[in-house]
Amino acid sequence: MTITKMLIIVSSIGALVWAAISLFSSVTGQVGVEIPPTLAVLSDLPKAEKLCGIKSNKWRVKREIDGVLVSASTRCIPDNPWEVAAFVKGTNNVSMQTLMSTRLASDAVIKENDRDGDGDPDVIHIRLEVAELNGSSPDGELFLPTYEIAPGVTPGLWVFAPKTRGMAAINLYSYAAIPELRAPSPVIRVEQGDSVMITLENTHYFPHTIHLHGVDHPYLDAQGRGNDGVPLTAEHPVMPGETRTYSLKPRQTGTMFYHCHVQTDKHLMMGLQGMFVVEENRPNNWLQTMNIGAGLVRHSSVAVKESFDLEYDLHYQNIDKELNSSIQSANDPRLIAKQMNRVYDMTDATADYFLLNGHSFPFTLRDSLIVADPDQHIKLRIVNGQSEVLALHTHGHKATITHYDGIEIPQAAQITRDVVMLGPAQRADLNLSTTDDGLHSYGPGVWLFHNHAEKGITTDGRGPGGDISLIVYRSFLEADGMPKLQGVDIARFIEPEYYAGDRSVWGRSSAAQLLGEAALVQPGLIWLIAFGVVVGLILGLLLWLLAGNKALGADR
Amino acid sequence: MNPVARWLLPLAWLLTGTAYAQEADQVLVVPLEGESKVRMRHSMDMQGMIMNANKDVLPSNCEKISGDVNITVRAGRKYAKKFNGKTFAYDQQQWAMQPCSRVTVRFINDDPIRHQFMIHGLPEYLYPPTGMFMIELTGPGEKTATFILYKEPKTYLVHCELTQHMESGMKAQLKVGGGDGDLPSVPGLTPAEKPDIYPMDWTWKAAVVFVIAVIVGLILIVVISLVLRRAEALN
Repeated sequence: MTITKMLIIVSSIGALVWAAISLFSSVTGQVGVEIPPTLAVLSDLPKAEKLCGIKSNKWRVKREIDGVLVSASTRCIPDNPWEVAAFVKGTNNVSMQTLMSTRLASDAVIKENDRDGDGDPDVIHIRLEVAELNGSSPDGELFLPTYEIAPGVTPGLWVFAPKTRGMAAINLYSYAAIPELRAPSPVIRVEQGDSVMITLENTHYFPHTIHLHGVDHPYLDAQGRGNDGVPLTAEHPVMPGETRTYSLKPRQTGTMFYHCHVQTDKHLMMGLQGMFVVEENRPNNWLQTMNIGAGLVRHSSVAVKESFDLEYDLHYQNIDKELNSSIQSANDPRLIAKQMNRVYDMTDATADYFLLNGHSFPFTLRDSLIVADPDQHIKLRIVNGQSEVLALHTHGHKATITHYDGIEIPQAAQITRDVVMLGPAQRADLNLSTTDDGLHSYGPGVWLFHNHAEKGITTDGRGPGGDISLIVYRSFLEADGMPKLQGVDIARFIEPEYYAGDRSVWGRSSAAQLLGEAALVQPGLIWLIAFGVVVGLILGLLLWLLAGNKALGADR
Repeated sequence: MNPVARWLLPLAWLLTGTAYAQEADQVLVVPLEGESKVRMRHSMDMQGMIMNANKDVLPSNCEKISGDVNITVRAGRKYAKKFNGKTFAYDQQQWAMQPCSRVTVRFINDDPIRHQFMIHGLPEYLYPPTGMFMIELTGPGEKTATFILYKEPKTYLVHCELTQHMESGMKAQLKVGGGDGDLPSVPGLTPAEKPDIYPMDWTWKAAVVFVIAVIVGLILIVVISLVLRRAEALN
């Protein structure tokens, strides 16, 4: 090749590259005077659904069922009061009419034998099954049964569930799980000194156990078998289709915890964890043995009723979707076991979802509002089932911490504060006073309570989400149990598109015009053709150089 | 409770998804068009429950019961052991029956946990609210109940509805009059609609075979082109 030819080629390439760089801005979205408009404002979007919208529900009213007083609940979809009554009396003691009004199996909670003659049963037999929510199906791209933690968010979950009967979906035309199959695993309440048997009926395809964390129980049962639920020490896991009965007679009271101890790091985080409460032994102390989905206790113990107006169970969990999607990636349990136990590395884990009582905001407002009246004392039992620290902040209130890990703190040492710190598996009992004195309460309103470890108030990084809920004074409550928000519209948070990241945070707000989505820039036709031709010329020239190498060489 | 309310209760259950109260062994009388009446029985005890047992009311398109069929169905972990990757199963995965048969199912649970024999797709007016017949056992034991099949050829789904039990293998099909096809993912019978992806065993041997196959493919092209040229030359 002559030097002249080489110079021509090199300068041609240089000129073309310069042209390409100059024209590149025409396809990168750089604009001139014409700035793109806001894509969609409030009026352009379809109307979002209401968070509740059910103004009356027969399950909300206070009623007496089979002699059991079930308190009122303002929840959008409250606990089935017949189920509450069945948990209080035992499925063996309620009328068939009541039992048929529940979805409980006839042997879900058996109560008998008032041994100390104080008017309540002292031998309690609880049966728990293991349910999988949002698990995969070989029959198609669907998760069965479906359980949304937030709009459109369906991570795979394992939960302990009360022994039920019938279908797992609410009906044949829906994949949605029945209300008894949900996160968190049910709160279990027993009385101090009761002989309690908890039978794990392993209905799942993985082995599991129950470890009673903080609850007084013997290491071995009366037959000398392992009773601690830990497969590393005294027992083998309960295999699929098998059962094991754990027995205890707790001497100490308090808010405790229970969880599966098989591959604990995975199974606990998959959702096999629940609150366990041991109540003081009192006469005529018929306890609500299970509180499905935690939240308001509709039949509190004698001791709690003496000191408090209301009682709420608050169970915090977090989820790493990478772990929980293991059960959605395959159907064969061997493939799931490999993914979960060998491929997934928990030391690289980051939590994506944060739950209060099995839901993330805004669904927390459906079943985890703390509804208060002025001058009340409300008992909050809190368990941190997360893998991270919980820094629970109450707006407008400073609650008093009365118990840590079930142990009562001496009165003089009790601390009143607005952020309660709990490490993983720790519990706290709070006395939330609604006395408007500027210290315990700033007065009636709609006050947030949430994890102040900030990612805890997001759902897959999008806020507001996570475990946000509200302390709502009754005067600020709508007829459907939702809070009055002074004209604030939270409809945008009910849309699955919001948590999928497909919708502007401000799209439905008054700032939509200012902060909404900018419309896509249409590439200018002339500039697009010019840029395309230049790129084509560069590629063509390079190909010609490669292909014509032999000819060029011959020419030399 | 008046008959209309009794008739509406299953409908309410269907619409709201909430359980409805009903005495065990209570007989519901459902008025149908004309003079016929349907009696449904939901019974429940500590061993389990039976929903929509029906011994004597014919579906509207059956003139008479074509015959009595008695089957014994066992459910348990052990029946899944012959199916790789499955956890629970029935001892059989398929039944063939004549239309308008009266089927008596003796359902035996060999596990200490809950299992169901649930069949969907039966006429809803006879098996309200959703055309389902079910025997559920809370633990080991057995229950027997009867239902009557429809006239149309159809393949019915039989399964256990506990979470993941059908997906784990407790699934079967009942073909009436030859059925109307196969259901997916019946263990040992039909493939899954959404099959799992398993790791492949890529050995050196397999790799060599693949490379040789590629070379054969290349040689074939050369051979074919030579043959074509020869044919062209001959013409």
